Amino acid sequence: MNILKYILKRIIQIIPLLFIVSIISFFIIRLSPIDPLAELRLNPSISQETLQKETQRLGLDKPIPVQYTKWAVSFVKGDLGVTSSGERVSDKLKERIPNTLLLTSIVIFMTWAVGVPLGILGAIYHKSQFDRLLTVLSSIGMAIPSFFFAILLLIFAVKTSIFPVGGLTSFDFDEMSLGGKILDLARHLVLPVTVLFTISLASLQRQMRANMLEVMDSEYVKFARAKGLSEFKVIFKHALRNALNPMITLLGFEFAGLLSGAALTEYVFQYPGLGRLILEAVMKSDINLVMASLMMGSIMLVLGNLLADILLIITDPRIRGAR
Amino acid sequence: MKRVIYLIILIGIIFGGLKACIHRDISDVETEIPITQGVNIDKYSINQIFPNPKTVTIKGIDYLQSQLPVGNFGGRIIASTIGEGPKTFNPFTAKDATSSQMANMMYDGLVSANPVTGEVIPKLAKSIEIKGNNYIIHLRHGIKWSDGKPITADDVVFTWQDIVFKGLGNTSVRDSIIIDGKLPEIKKIDNYTVVFTVPKPFAPFLRILANPIAPKHYFTSIPDWENSFDRILATTINPKEIVYSGAFHLKKYVPAQRVVFDRNPNYYEINLKKQKLPYLNQVVYLIVGDLNNEILKFEGKEIDTINLQGATVARYKSKEAASDYAIYNLGPDTGTMFLAINLNNRKNEKGKPYVSYLKQKWFSDLNFRTAIDYAVDRDSMVTNIAQGLAEPLFTSESLNGIYLNKDIKGHKRDLKYAESLLKQSGFYKSKNGLLYDKSGNKVEFDLYTNAGNTERESIGVMIKQDLADLGMTVNFKPVEFNTLVNKLTNTYDWDMCIMGLTGSPLEPHNGKNVWNSYGPLHLFNQRPPQYNKDDRLSWEKELDNIFEEGALKLNFNDRKKYYDRYQQIIYDERPIIYLYSPTRVVAIRRKFKNVYPTTLSGILYNIEEIYIGNDK
Repeated sequence: MNILKYILKRIIQIIPLLFIVSIISFFIIRLSPIDPLAELRLNPSISQETLQKETQRLGLDKPIPVQYTKWAVSFVKGDLGVTSSGERVSDKLKERIPNTLLLTSIVIFMTWAVGVPLGILGAIYHKSQFDRLLTVLSSIGMAIPSFFFAILLLIFAVKTSIFPVGGLTSFDFDEMSLGGKILDLARHLVLPVTVLFTISLASLQRQMRANMLEVMDSEYVKFARAKGLSEFKVIFKHALRNALNPMITLLGFEFAGLLSGAALTEYVFQYPGLGRLILEAVMKSDINLVMASLMMGSIMLVLGNLLADILLIITDPRIRGAR
Repeated sequence: MKRVIYLIILIGIIFGGLKACIHRDISDVETEIPITQGVNIDKYSINQIFPNPKTVTIKGIDYLQSQLPVGNFGGRIIASTIGEGPKTFNPFTAKDATSSQMANMMYDGLVSANPVTGEVIPKLAKSIEIKGNNYIIHLRHGIKWSDGKPITADDVVFTWQDIVFKGLGNTSVRDSIIIDGKLPEIKKIDNYTVVFTVPKPFAPFLRILANPIAPKHYFTSIPDWENSFDRILATTINPKEIVYSGAFHLKKYVPAQRVVFDRNPNYYEINLKKQKLPYLNQVVYLIVGDLNNEILKFEGKEIDTINLQGATVARYKSKEAASDYAIYNLGPDTGTMFLAINLNNRKNEKGKPYVSYLKQKWFSDLNFRTAIDYAVDRDSMVTNIAQGLAEPLFTSESLNGIYLNKDIKGHKRDLKYAESLLKQSGFYKSKNGLLYDKSGNKVEFDLYTNAGNTERESIGVMIKQDLADLGMTVNFKPVEFNTLVNKLTNTYDWDMCIMGLTGSPLEPHNGKNVWNSYGPLHLFNQRPPQYNKDDRLSWEKELDNIFEEGALKLNFNDRKKYYDRYQQIIYDERPIIYLYSPTRVVAIRRKFKNVYPTTLSGILYNIEEIYIGNDK
């Protein structure tokens, strides 16, 4: 019951937060000198009348607070509005969300499935050659800028033709059998996943290793060892459970990253995800689209944190007791 | 010690990996191979005649018959479009090039243009009679929309009367045919005849008939179609619902990835063997984010044709012989690059001049403008910036324009002449090489362009250096595109600016927004909206007359005189100094036949006639 009340409280807290975030972002975007109609203005075949019609349609002729209120009212009603080119924002998001989810969930799953065990191993075999090798590799992974690595892999794809040059599906995807489709998706996903995996793996592995080392050095682990417990039990029953707590908080942030995508990597690989969509929208000051994505990002972040807190309550009796 | 060895091995592995990626890309041969016209152009010369399709009547159906060689059926072509892909498939609401291109795949217009000469030829119309101010359109008998309904006069009247004249969607077509404040009238004579009546003879009208024709029964079947016009044929449409007339129709649109078009099995064009075109089963447009990605996709053989620019041309040319593609140099493109000088001598609402009085005096001096024209080194811009893939430009019409004034020959860079002109106007050079006007003011002004456009930025740097030779101090300021547009169209507080505008090589009247003294894009002497004082310069008045009267003459040669004169005026008065016109170079895989690339129409304009040859 207590937990439910807590969740409810947290959810209600989201509302003022969203309000503040939306006001700040709306005004910043609108105060930037980007004119969504600049391209049209320099087109010799567009008449003054058309320009005026467009200005009215986008509401650019009204003061910013009025524009904001109009946006906020329709947002609360669940209407995300239309993009500057007249398409529905919700349609645009719907097209991209599955693609981004596919990419980010694969990456997150893989990094956690590989990164956490590697971190544990690194801590257990602390200062061994294996640990040192991992340290060097993860330093490299952290040091390579993602777009640069992505470009290298693209060149690799062009030269070898093993992998396609960006995109998510081949042009004849719809004519393929189910197996063929899966294979095609996999071929397209290998390179972007590799880039994102390498980069997030490194930091996750380091984090896990550090947590684990700290715990391994603590009094209760020494005590468990002194008690004569087997090394396996010491590590998995006593050390690991304690070392996992900070990781759960981290998982909450990863949850927020599910939909924010990886704009740079998506851009280089021409991946049809949210990141690329939003990057292009920001460049054009496509306010409704940018606002929708910012709101989505904030909601995901808050939800991710909430999720992490709940998980912590479940795993950690100390936090449960404090409440 | 061990650690050092590990480190060395690791570094070795990384470098090895990187080295493998930096595969030798450029052949050892000197890559500066000049791409002269004539390499492939011999085969498909600009001057070659593209045979116009004819009308053939078989069993009461007026087919359009392609006069190109008969080819094989089947296969697909994969092309690309740069940017975000289409925003709509509705040809009447499309505002960007990609959307129009995709929409026009599915909807034919009454007429089209010969890709070589630009001459107007019938498409959906069987023939057009011009009697005075009446354009009598005879439609084809027996041709149908994709759902089997005949294409009739009702569709034509509907398109023009209920969509275009009412101003639904993009109004630029309507705006361009308002003559003396009046729109043309349209009347249905019978099911296959329509008459347009224009208030005055108006030359650009015929070409505007290329605007697509909409299926009336399909558009009006949509509830409240007028108010939801923007939603008709939106990108979220189920392709099966679309009623079309074009050679290809939408099969599937995958956002940010591709647009797939399938063959229209009942298209009204046939080949010489009387088989129904198009030859290809499928046309795929991959949506690519930028030029670099497009190049990679072409190299990875994911796309079949590409527009090439700058440095890539030399590289592709050197690899062409051993490859499966052919490169075509189509000659100068429609784009023009120019340096505009702000001649504005008006004041803003606060009584402050847009351009300071001092600069106004310089800029309004023809000797000063001519000196700049002679100091600018076009040849070295062509060599260094456009890598030789451009031609110096002196006219306001692009070099492939059918109204180009060929008598304007231009000139070489001549610093001495430029200096003598400046001397005439009382400018003098001080000992430190700087230029001063006769009242002793240092000649210094700002030059703007949009930041991020590397080509224009390089031009700016070169102009700065060229003018420094005259002693002028140029502050080159690349600014954000939006800021620049605001300066040009709103605040008018700029001195000089490097820009490019795309015009139509077929219809100079489309430039009226730029050349008309009260036009919204009269950059070099922009008057605010609703400005009604007549402070036109004498040559501006003449330009206004030319653009008014040139449109009223119907005969090409009569019109040419007007437009020749307009180009001469711009060349003589130099409010805008034209710099160069880039060359258009395209590559397409050799297996595709019936490919006749031209500078006016590009490469895929006759997509229904293109086929895949047997020799792969």
